[in-house]
Amino acid sequence: MKLQEIAEKLDLKRATKAFDREVSGVYISDMVSDVIANAKAGNLLVTVQIHNNVIAAANLVDICGIVVTQGKLPTEDVVKMAEKAEIAIYTTALNRWQVATKLYEAGIR
Amino acid sequence: MMASEPKPRYEMVNVQMGYVMVEHDLFSRSVRSYFSAEEIPPREEYREGNRMWRSAVAGQSFHFDVRDTSTGEIIKFPELLGLLFYGSCKPESDIYRIGQIAHDANVSIYIAITYETGEGTRVPLSDAKLGILNKVFNDRLQRKEKKILILPDLFDLHKTMSYGEIMIDVGLTSMEEGG
Repeated sequence: MKLQEIAEKLDLKRATKAFDREVSGVYISDMVSDVIANAKAGNLLVTVQIHNNVIAAANLVDICGIVVTQGKLPTEDVVKMAEKAEIAIYTTALNRWQVATKLYEAGIR
Repeated sequence: MMASEPKPRYEMVNVQMGYVMVEHDLFSRSVRSYFSAEEIPPREEYREGNRMWRSAVAGQSFHFDVRDTSTGEIIKFPELLGLLFYGSCKPESDIYRIGQIAHDANVSIYIAITYETGEGTRVPLSDAKLGILNKVFNDRLQRKEKKILILPDLFDLHKTMSYGEIMIDVGLTSMEEGG
């Protein structure tokens, strides 16, 4: 399933330009080190973190997109960094658990 | 039938979560850093010879080994503290400018930061191991047009950076504030 289709199903708001990629799975974490160690290329990252090191880690691992939860909004610098790395950031008021269940209901495994 | 993806030459193994500990000596102001795999980061002061070490930073991080899938050899990276993304450096710095140019060519630059010895030096990371590190991260990429370039700290960034700029989890407990 493509990122944009997931965004529509979950009613996510896009905070960057669109970089539509195939989603190969989901990784939920708020730790940069955990993302580097365990996330896989093509995963959609679900996190509450909006630090620029999250983008640095997502870029290193080749994450396909980021969903920032709990109404957090990335700063302009973070948006610029994500766009440079061609990683789309989406935001939602939902928490990580709610996003996880909705992703499962949408067919992501 | 589709051909399966070739198995990467190197893979990350023995991933161990823990803490990057940074301590300074109260007398000489020497700084040293190391990895601790303890569940709770050691924060107490302690004497060692004529030095008194006090914890300054504890950032959640991880250690890993690399396995050569062709020979089974395990290569350890105990000297690697973490990676610093060029985009986290100061925009007026040379590394940032080089990183921007490289990024436009689909190359993302990261700097390998190694541990401090306590004697004013850093633990060296050999070119051979740096090459393996580059291979590990590039083999994980899905986008074939994209490249990761991990460089040694040729710019002495360790002298001016803060630990929050490195890709370790410093100050994670404050993540719910602001935003």
